[in-house]
Amino acid sequence: MRVMLAEDSALLREGLVRLLKEEGHDVLAAVGDAGALLEAVTGERPQAVVVDVRMPPTHTDEGLRAALEIRRRWPEVKVLVLSQYVEKKYATELMSGSIDGVGYLLKDRVAQVGDFLDALERVGVGGTAFDPEVVRQLLARTSHADPLAQLTAREREVLELMAQGLTNASIAQSLHVSQSAVEKHVNALFDKLALSHTIGYSRRVLAVLRYLGS
Amino acid sequence: MRLAVRGLRLVGAVAAGAVTALLGLLFVLVAVPFADRPAVRAAAARLTTLELRRLRLELPGRDGEGELRSLAARAPVGLLGGLVVLLLVYGMRWAAPLAWSWGRGEAVDGMLPTPPLLAYAFLAGSVLLFLEVSGLVGVGALERRLAVHLLAPDPTEALRRRISELTESRAGVVAVVDAERRRIERDLHDGVQQRLVALSMLAGRARRGRPELLEQLHEQAQQALVELREVAWRVYPSGLDAHGLAEALAGVAERAAVAVKVTCELPERPSAPVETAAYFVASEAVTNAAKHSRASLVTIDVRQEGTMVVVRVEDDGMGGADATGGGLTGLARRVAALDGRFTLTSPPGGPTVIEVGLPCA
Repeated sequence: MRVMLAEDSALLREGLVRLLKEEGHDVLAAVGDAGALLEAVTGERPQAVVVDVRMPPTHTDEGLRAALEIRRRWPEVKVLVLSQYVEKKYATELMSGSIDGVGYLLKDRVAQVGDFLDALERVGVGGTAFDPEVVRQLLARTSHADPLAQLTAREREVLELMAQGLTNASIAQSLHVSQSAVEKHVNALFDKLALSHTIGYSRRVLAVLRYLGS
Repeated sequence: MRLAVRGLRLVGAVAAGAVTALLGLLFVLVAVPFADRPAVRAAAARLTTLELRRLRLELPGRDGEGELRSLAARAPVGLLGGLVVLLLVYGMRWAAPLAWSWGRGEAVDGMLPTPPLLAYAFLAGSVLLFLEVSGLVGVGALERRLAVHLLAPDPTEALRRRISELTESRAGVVAVVDAERRRIERDLHDGVQQRLVALSMLAGRARRGRPELLEQLHEQAQQALVELREVAWRVYPSGLDAHGLAEALAGVAERAAVAVKVTCELPERPSAPVETAAYFVASEAVTNAAKHSRASLVTIDVRQEGTMVVVRVEDDGMGGADATGGGLTGLARRVAALDGRFTLTSPPGGPTVIEVGLPCA
């Protein structure tokens, strides 16, 4: 995959570049601030960008702003945002509009190299990747606690994994059940939450995330 | 003898008061139409200072208000004092020849110093002298009271000012604490956390078939520990409580990015709040100097002056430090919370001097 990186910590940037190269990705640019990233993307369109939220000069959310701008100007470029901590506002802003090819991960997740690479892979092919911690917080703070209480434990697990952007096959794999069992759970929980059975997996992720975030 | 000196001094003060009252009155008459001009105010202030010196009065906390008014108000009293002094001179001129002639047994105006006449003159002279001295003392007292009344700060006003000072410094303390927390959060997130994430990433890569990365991993773990220790030290230098200010400042010098020379001469250890404030003043000033001033040497000097611990930090950099900048405002607030004084001089071209006095009584 052709990737660009924006991360202000030189140490981490260097580590990410090495990791991505070792995994056979092509790192087109690795920069230290949002402005440089936008410039790089203007020059040459990568398949995906990995952006740290907090970067110079203000160290607040310039990375997120850049990510949103890239989504707006070049919708074909996939975006994986890394954040120091879970910020519901960031998740919500990224969710507004299509979430095809959008990811929002806690920065610490990079340390779990396998998870990070999976998430990048998913986002790169137009899927979705939301950090389990983000999903957990959305679940914890949702105003739909009552309908959620009607879910069985297994349905809740499926909901969490689905909200992270996993496909039915991946969910089945991580829960050690068959894919048809997952489909059954998905149908049941969509009924219980009164969500329409939309086709296409990223649209159903969006439905679930918006449901939780609203 | 001492009484005579005091008496003479009083006569001198009252006589001088009469002269300055006349001059003051002239000044007021001329200056009133321009009362708001700074030059007029400065001149009034100078005259008032002279007056207070003449009256041997010290009015701490004087705010420089009402000086023109007091110059005008004291004119009648001063002129009254002048009349009293004139009476004294007149009496002396009358009594001195009398005493001189009678002392030699000569007649004055045909009157010989017979006992009844002597008794009469002595009695009358004593009464007149008593009245004269009372007049002088009274004028002196009146002048002092008038000056205190018109120039000394109103105690209620002083209290009000103190309250607003306290409110401000209390808010300042809260702001300082918040700023510190923000800095610690940034130190942890941007420093230690990044390092740990990079470290775990290295571990992940090592597990995915790059065992040769283990050595690098170990090295980075050591560096993460060093960084964590640095952050902890910046939050609060553990050595400060145990080993005192001099030792903690030596730690600042060791860690600083510029050369730092420390002189710390205190006869005894100040209280913990003063010690902590002195430490943070010095360490923040050194950080500022290293970051902004392009200094090559910073001198820290801590000494006792009366009831104050004075911390002076000077660098040989290019100056132009901004007192409203984050770090320096924080310092000033920290010092204000302890009723200390904070001065910054930093002309363009340098040197920058920060001097802080912390009361420790």
